[in-house]
Amino acid sequence: MYIDSIKGLEEKANHLRRLVLDMCVRAGTGHVTSSFSCAEIFTALYYGGVLRYDVAKPAWEDRDRFILSKGHASAILYPVLADLGFYPAGELDKFCRADGMFGVHLQNDVPGVEICSGSLGHGIGVAAGLALAAKMDRKTYMVFTLLGDGECYEGSVWESAMFASHHELDNLIAFVDRNRLCATDFTEECVRLDPMDKKWEAFGWETVTIDGHSLEQIFAALGDFRSRPNQKKKPLVIVANTVKGKGVSFMEGQPLWHAVAPSGEQARRARVELTGKGGK
Amino acid sequence: MKDLSQRDAFFGKLYEIARRDRDVILVSADMGAPSLDKFRADLSAQYVNVGIAEQNMVTVASGLALGGKTVFMYAIMPFVTLRCYEMIKVELCLMNIAVTAVGVGSGISYDDSGPTHHSTEDIAIMRALPNMTVLNTTDSVMAARFAEMTCHISSPHYVRLDREKLPNIYKAGADFSTGVTELKTGRDVCIVATGNMVQRALEVAAELAKQNITAGVIDLYRIKPINTELLVKSVSRSGRVVTLEENLLNGGMGSAVAEVLADNGKLLPLKRIGLPDGYFFTYGGRKTMQSRSGLDLKSVTDLIIKWLK
Repeated sequence: MYIDSIKGLEEKANHLRRLVLDMCVRAGTGHVTSSFSCAEIFTALYYGGVLRYDVAKPAWEDRDRFILSKGHASAILYPVLADLGFYPAGELDKFCRADGMFGVHLQNDVPGVEICSGSLGHGIGVAAGLALAAKMDRKTYMVFTLLGDGECYEGSVWESAMFASHHELDNLIAFVDRNRLCATDFTEECVRLDPMDKKWEAFGWETVTIDGHSLEQIFAALGDFRSRPNQKKKPLVIVANTVKGKGVSFMEGQPLWHAVAPSGEQARRARVELTGKGGK
Repeated sequence: MKDLSQRDAFFGKLYEIARRDRDVILVSADMGAPSLDKFRADLSAQYVNVGIAEQNMVTVASGLALGGKTVFMYAIMPFVTLRCYEMIKVELCLMNIAVTAVGVGSGISYDDSGPTHHSTEDIAIMRALPNMTVLNTTDSVMAARFAEMTCHISSPHYVRLDREKLPNIYKAGADFSTGVTELKTGRDVCIVATGNMVQRALEVAAELAKQNITAGVIDLYRIKPINTELLVKSVSRSGRVVTLEENLLNGGMGSAVAEVLADNGKLLPLKRIGLPDGYFFTYGGRKTMQSRSGLDLKSVTDLIIKWLK
């Protein structure tokens, strides 16, 4: 499903937020705010002509690999894959139900999903291994991964970051969803993560910092990414400054909304706000 | 194979296979050995040294396997198991990815290196993992065969290699597909042993014979999944069971045998022999340490005689 206008993509991002909200409200669980912060990134990847995939052949050998390292954002990947037709949209109604196919964290037996994830600091290493395998076999698929900023507390992230730059994995592109919140606190008050970009630079990555809610900036940061392999000699990280809970005013930037789905009047208000932004 | 360590037998065979199959990849966490150096020099495109970063070793190995490679990852035993345990759970077992984790240094074979390098808990934790196969190597013949076997797997495997050059018990061409080998039959007691303790069990059986006690010896080299039928059938030839391992008893091989016997209604008297619960700041070599922890020939023989009375 390719959407060729920024306006259309912006509407899609809010549509996805609405799908996330409905799915999580119905189940009474799910990481709503962690999914809202990366809605534009998902929209660009899946609807903006970035990722190569084939809905009819989820295991297509030459597909790009999207490795969701922040596995709790499954709450938005599952709606995306349903919206694209990897499985019926009715599956979203069964989120976390006994007769459903998925729960809160990511599982790789769902069509279109590459890995199991939920524990943090894992996905980027898997992505690096896949990117290295592609290089060994001279395959042209790209490997994308999305990390949370709180995830960057995990030491394993930096083991993998070091590895990826050493092996010049220029077919690997990472996004860091820099929403400045971890599970219970603001990251800079928990344990300081800034300067995030300098850390990645120091680990040998080409680093671009953007407004992660600007689709124009996401596309600009990606640039002509298909020409990167064997040219750039460095993996690319896009540090996307975002707002956790983006799109629903009373949830934005609030630590208490981590892993919580709104209910009752709050759920209704959230729907109204998103619908007003095109999230039908 | 006579003069080879288990490590060199395993990686020597893997080298032969990898020369013919460029999809065989060896991921190492900064480990060196003659057999590894040869692999690294001749097959550099198939050798990935991640540095001293075992967590990344597992995630990268998983990614390489997802990319179609036949992947082996290698480090000293505590570092390829305990250090990166949760990665093994998620990247290998939860996703059921066919990667072989190879560890060197079973039990206290890194003797004078001290407890950071001893591996006496790994059987318990690795056999706890769904989808994981746990192989404990008895000699270099078995080590080479394990290298061949693990090139054709569809689920994660863990291979334990002893650091010490141990005498060969098996002849080339021996079959290790069953997971259990009955090396000797005996009516009075059956000793189920694993790894380096298989040789000890054979020595103990010879000592017991001098006392007119006939002891059977079973090599349990596949600790998970256990070949229940064959193990139960083999131990049933005698009335009592001893398990023998250079490993902590909590959750170890003896525990696994006890579980199998209990679950199958074979409630034979059973004595587990292994290392005492603790860590060892004892030096002077493995033999000294075995003597002080009751795993030398005399201690094991005496304990069994006393228990049989």
